[in-house]
Amino acid sequence: MSISDIYREEIIDHAKNPRNYGKLADFDFEHKENNPVCGDTITFQLKLDGQKKVKDIAFEGNGCTVSQAATSLLFESVKGKTVREIKKLSQADVLDLLGLDNITPSRVKCALLSLEALKNGIKQ
Amino acid sequence: MPDITKVKLDFPILSQKMNDQRLVYLDNAATTQKPKKVIDAITEFYEKYNANTHRGIYQLSEKATAMYEDSREKVRAFIGAEKTEEIIFTRGTTESINLVAYSWGRKNIEAEDEILLTETEHHSNIVPWQLLAKEKGAVIKYIPVDKNGKLNLDNIDQYFTKKTKLLALIHVSNVLGVVNPIREIITKAHTSGVPVLLDGAQSTPHMPVNVRELDCDFFAFSGHKMLGPTGVGVLYVREDILEEMPPFLSGGNMIREVTMAETKFEDLPLRFEAGTMPIAQVIGLGVAIDYLKSIGMENIWQHEQEIVNYALAKIRAISGVTVYGPEETVERSGVVSFAIDGIHPHDLASVLNEAGVAIRAGHHCAQPLLSALGTEATARASFYIYNDQKDVDQLVDAINQAIKILK
Repeated sequence: MSISDIYREEIIDHAKNPRNYGKLADFDFEHKENNPVCGDTITFQLKLDGQKKVKDIAFEGNGCTVSQAATSLLFESVKGKTVREIKKLSQADVLDLLGLDNITPSRVKCALLSLEALKNGIKQ
Repeated sequence: MPDITKVKLDFPILSQKMNDQRLVYLDNAATTQKPKKVIDAITEFYEKYNANTHRGIYQLSEKATAMYEDSREKVRAFIGAEKTEEIIFTRGTTESINLVAYSWGRKNIEAEDEILLTETEHHSNIVPWQLLAKEKGAVIKYIPVDKNGKLNLDNIDQYFTKKTKLLALIHVSNVLGVVNPIREIITKAHTSGVPVLLDGAQSTPHMPVNVRELDCDFFAFSGHKMLGPTGVGVLYVREDILEEMPPFLSGGNMIREVTMAETKFEDLPLRFEAGTMPIAQVIGLGVAIDYLKSIGMENIWQHEQEIVNYALAKIRAISGVTVYGPEETVERSGVVSFAIDGIHPHDLASVLNEAGVAIRAGHHCAQPLLSALGTEATARASFYIYNDQKDVDQLVDAINQAIKILK
């Protein structure tokens, strides 16, 4: 996997213009997650509908291209999903969304911060 | 001055390619590469005289013991200590500081006493004191740093109160390379009767250090940041203080006689070296010191000054760059911490890696300092004796390439 694959246009675009960025006024819960190694942070609010499906989600965060793009892509994809479906999401699902299947272990952590945030938030 | 082209050849790792590029290693504040002589010394130990020290009545053990103690003498001379009894081998700077916190600290620090640190400390000189303070009900105070990473010493006297029991501070910042005005600070501390622990992890490898001239009471550093192996560090403690310190780790090697009821401990310094020590690594550190002395610490410092000033000028010229640390010329070791507008340091490090350049990106185990600088992460290039201007040029080219990809 070369550097131009990691930093291809779609990923740069999601990092520079993250979808669902900001804060929800009306939400069911809020959660903050950080990566102690690099200090990347994600704070998000989530609102469910009557069928326990994600009605809306919004986040704010600081971090590298990989962590912020992964959050944008992942959160966009969970809209309409049930809590049960989210709990089943795997690391491979996030790397698939990013189109990165062969990044180095230290960068995998960046990519998975969003998934960790989502799962820990739901657990609580 | 040393011929850096020749120096590079002493380091086998540097001859390899990284991602088809010439490898440029610029993470020397984290750990340094090892010259062939150090690697050979470790191999020779295991191939020719591997044995446990200080107890075997046979030639291998006696040779291992002699080589181990020979390293202690080399360390003593290297940092200008008076006696070899004042030199304790540890696993590294972190363990050295923990040893002081657990042994000296537990005995001497009580409820409401104050431990004085600075905002520039590495986590290894914060966390052991926080744990001790929690256990004892003591208080930690910090000498503040300004937004350029310089200690604010204007009202330093106010920090030394009747309750201040220790000042523990970093000699050279691992994030900014800033050399703290140690002599001035230690004089102030001693005037108030406060002993001083100096974290020398980033000074010992790069400049001449003399613990008696510095007049510090405790001095800690690591072998692997000065061309030696990982797993070995040093704690210097002035003898009169060390004599009064209770054991830290206990067990074999540090005892004179053990009965079921009680134990008589070894003399200094073995009283503080429990269990089988990293013998090969201690010997390797001795050889690293020989290597550094063959170049000369003053020469190493001068070389780093040239490289860091060259790098500072070239990096400051990049558009959108922020270089952290004082803008004016200050005493500064070979460290440059910087950021590029709109590019996260992690992304920068990834692109630089592709160009064969290894730098560090993150908080560098000094989150309070980064918070004072107003950031969460920086990119850090740190230099050593084997880095030359060509390395800096490759770094700067790679940064410009990263800006093209990421902006």
